[in-house]
Amino acid sequence: MSTQAVALKASTEEWRLPDKGKVGIACLIVAESAIFIIFVLAYVFYMGKSLSGPTPAQVLSVPIVGTICLLSSSLTVHFAVVSLEKNRIALSNAWLALTILLGGIFLGGTAIEWRKLIVDDGLTIRTNLFGTTYYSLVGLHASHVVVGLILLISVLLFGLAGKLDQSHARRLDVLSYYWHFVDAVWVVVFTVVYILGR
Amino acid sequence: MNSTGTAVLASAQPPRKLWLDHVQEWLTTVDHKRIGLMYIGYALIFLVVAGVEALLMRIQLSAPDNHFLSPEVFNCMFTMHGTTMVFFVGMPILFGFGNYLVPLMIGARDMAFPRLNAFSFWISAFGGLLLYFSFLGGSGLYGAGSAPDVGWFAYAPLTAKLFSPGHSTDYWTLSILLSGIGSVGTALNLIVTIFTMRCKGMTMTRLPLLCWLYVVTSWLTFLALGPLTAAQIMLCLDRFAGSHFFDVQAGGSAVLWMHFFWIFGHPEVYILVLPAFAFANEIIPVFSRKPIFGYPAMVAASVLIGFISLGVWAHHMFTVGLGPEGNAFFTLATMIVSVPTGIKIFNWLATIWGGKIRFATPMLFSIGFLFQFLIAGLTGIMLSVAPFDWQLGNSYFVVAHFHYVLVGAILYMIFAAFYYWYPKMFGRMLSEKLGKWHFWLFTFGFHLTFDTMHIPGLLGMPRRVFTYPADRGWAMLNQIETVGGFIQAIALLLFVWNMIQSYRTGKEAGPDPWDAWTLEWATSSPPPHYNFAVDPVVHSRRPLWDRKHPESPDTHYE
Amino acid sequence: MQEHASLPRDAAKNAAAPHGETGIESIHLPSPTVWPMVLALGVTLLVAGLITNAAISLLGAVFAVAASVGWFRNVLPHERHEEVHAPVSAAERAAAVAASAGPRPAPAAAAHGQRRLTYSFLSGIEAGAAGGAAMALVATAFGMVRFHSLWYAINLMAASSFLSWSNASDAFLSGFHLQGLLAGLLIHMLISVLVGLLYAATMPIFPRLSLVAGGILGPLVWTGLAFSLTKSVAPLLGARVDWLWFIVSQIAFGLTAVWIVNLRIRFLSAEFQSLPFDQRAGLHSNEAQRSAASEVRQ
Repeated sequence: MSTQAVALKASTEEWRLPDKGKVGIACLIVAESAIFIIFVLAYVFYMGKSLSGPTPAQVLSVPIVGTICLLSSSLTVHFAVVSLEKNRIALSNAWLALTILLGGIFLGGTAIEWRKLIVDDGLTIRTNLFGTTYYSLVGLHASHVVVGLILLISVLLFGLAGKLDQSHARRLDVLSYYWHFVDAVWVVVFTVVYILGR
Repeated sequence: MNSTGTAVLASAQPPRKLWLDHVQEWLTTVDHKRIGLMYIGYALIFLVVAGVEALLMRIQLSAPDNHFLSPEVFNCMFTMHGTTMVFFVGMPILFGFGNYLVPLMIGARDMAFPRLNAFSFWISAFGGLLLYFSFLGGSGLYGAGSAPDVGWFAYAPLTAKLFSPGHSTDYWTLSILLSGIGSVGTALNLIVTIFTMRCKGMTMTRLPLLCWLYVVTSWLTFLALGPLTAAQIMLCLDRFAGSHFFDVQAGGSAVLWMHFFWIFGHPEVYILVLPAFAFANEIIPVFSRKPIFGYPAMVAASVLIGFISLGVWAHHMFTVGLGPEGNAFFTLATMIVSVPTGIKIFNWLATIWGGKIRFATPMLFSIGFLFQFLIAGLTGIMLSVAPFDWQLGNSYFVVAHFHYVLVGAILYMIFAAFYYWYPKMFGRMLSEKLGKWHFWLFTFGFHLTFDTMHIPGLLGMPRRVFTYPADRGWAMLNQIETVGGFIQAIALLLFVWNMIQSYRTGKEAGPDPWDAWTLEWATSSPPPHYNFAVDPVVHSRRPLWDRKHPESPDTHYE
Repeated sequence: MQEHASLPRDAAKNAAAPHGETGIESIHLPSPTVWPMVLALGVTLLVAGLITNAAISLLGAVFAVAASVGWFRNVLPHERHEEVHAPVSAAERAAAVAASAGPRPAPAAAAHGQRRLTYSFLSGIEAGAAGGAAMALVATAFGMVRFHSLWYAINLMAASSFLSWSNASDAFLSGFHLQGLLAGLLIHMLISVLVGLLYAATMPIFPRLSLVAGGILGPLVWTGLAFSLTKSVAPLLGARVDWLWFIVSQIAFGLTAVWIVNLRIRFLSAEFQSLPFDQRAGLHSNEAQRSAASEVRQ
């Protein structure tokens, strides 16, 4: 009969389940990671196997500014969530705007880098294996940054229109996980492309 | 023809709905049951299409030096048959059952993300349509069409622009990309639903095993479809943007594609077979009148499969020449993955052992599954030995082996699931008489085709040849296979007829026709839109047993 | 002991208690929405454009953006729900017996009382036949005036399936050919009936515009389509067609068809015009089935 007593006690306890958004974003991150892993593997596999130039050592320079901006934007988006949880909408908006600015600087940096590579160095996706793997890996990451920025901007627009309140903090939190993931991927891409690959 | 659509504008009696109303309801639905049924229906249509393709190939191979199909058409047929069966029959039908059953089994009213669910279904469905549009538009809109003809694993450099001009390969890669989005969406939805929507009292240790297996399947879907998507993006870049991932001329590697494809391809087998295990876990106990033997071991074995199966892919590539280390590693990993699978088979046997067995159609198919899956596993172990594989790789022995898994195991459990859950879905029983005819006829045809198919493989008949000379001694065996194929087709038609006929005239099922124990049988058949009027509360793994036997509930023993 | 056996039974009792005798439980379910399907279609077209035509990608992009916005508005700021009423008395018996959504009064339809609106496939076929006859009259008149031949127009129609005929001489086309007559009639009748059905289905949606849309605009658009299609598919054939006469014959078809459809369906009446759009379009026959979608904070 002791087991029965335990079961009874359990049924009167509050029934807690994990948050939908968090589990969902975790799943998405697992699936996306699998995609990125394959692109990183392809990059590593083809490292130094290009039949013709230009090579990474000749043309790549380390994007310090962009990297610092992107990584610090993880912090700012976290602050935006925290402020929204405390219902300080204006502050949250400011942090969001800063996040978007930092993300924008990163994208701009990538754009300038690509322009230099294409126009000055003559490296395109067709040039050699380095071009193929570099543009696809960095481009895949950049497209994730773009998606994140679009979502952040729409949140900011809602915030500026005064339609955001504390109850949306949970959703913004989920979005911030995605943004952290994009940043984490950049750490890997940065290490592989700009440190190991050069 | 005459005035079929009638719109009544009245306030009193609820009038008949326009057919457009029905169309609109199905197009806009976010109800997991309807989406599940749409998944299943759409998969069944593709099953018939891909089955016809298989029969065409069997006709072509039934005689030596046959010219029923041209070599070009034969290439299209085996490519489309494989691609369709894996991506547009297997995955949708299993996700369809998952969609339908998981919320009902955990006492939820819908999936966690109902709109994402609808999106996932539709994008998979449109992906399938795009693939078949290639028959019209394969060489571009203005040229004569041709379907993809590069084989279902589309090895490089066959897929390079140079060797596959026109757009047929693009149709293949893009439609798979689309269906992949849908699969990942549904897998995500299933996991989130199972983790966050369980009814009160349903802890993870009380979760029906079906749901546990869908968790593992979904996990594998993330990790398998991700690499496939990545590889397809690379192939698209190669074909559209001129990059060199798989371009050997520019230093690219054709073997890299093989790795990427099989990193997807082998877990995919488990994505397909785990739901079949899931059905067996639900059906075998109910028809043996015993709870499942070794619930924790079953869960552990499933989770183990979810990890080990990620590390066995290169056993598809022994013939490439992986070197001694690679061969040893993948041989061992493949043999190890058969351990948790063996645990499962023993647990099912132990569940049946000493039970009060009811040989209804779902149980017949389950027993067929047990035998045939065992044989498929045994030939699998033979093929996992690298030297044996060097001898028989890419022969009909391999074809026979994986059809034993896909048809003998997975399709059998899908049939069992239909007979078991059809009453829940439509409120009527499938005819047992037709069901038994279906089972015995199909089993006869299956063994005729696929037992025989091992032999030409051992005799050296390679797969994917469109014909063979008469002096090889393969003709008789191939003829037997073809006859078996047609017997299976007849059995399948019986099954389709059974579903249509029973929908109209089948015996009323009632909420719980099998005297089963999981929550889906606690609601009416078919379940109302909201599944449960009141959220259920459970205290054990078999909530309905507890309700039917208050004198001896499971809670005492768990 | 009792607790274990309780599954939904006792829980149902407890939950139903506040509702007293009614025994009706109100349940929120996500409301149906078409946007996920449209987004899927948009993405598919976007991708399909890569291998067919850029215009298809463009269409897909439009669908995808529209659907994303629609989906977004469906979920934010608050998820849209619909209310379903479940009789809990059923749940008190064995968990749940055949329970379904209870019918609710339909406020919108009440104002219109007992009135029947009949859409008829037959009316579409009749309209197509009548329109086709009117069009044939004009086309034959064209043949008589220009080539003094009863058969020229029908032979020209047949030439759209026998492409070799588009090179044939005017004299050949002016003569009688049984093959040409049968093929031409078949094509003409098939298209006429299909367009007639289309008219019967779509014209009541915009009753005020039907004469303009069906009688003039539709024929003009169709002519434009036919013109550009023949130009790229069968240029020789296109060169033979007198496009002014073509337009006139199409308009004859359109006006006749709209007239016949209206005779049958009476959609030009003031009464019909006052109906809301979705009922005119025949999307909803039954207000009672549509639970009012209410926005509920989650």
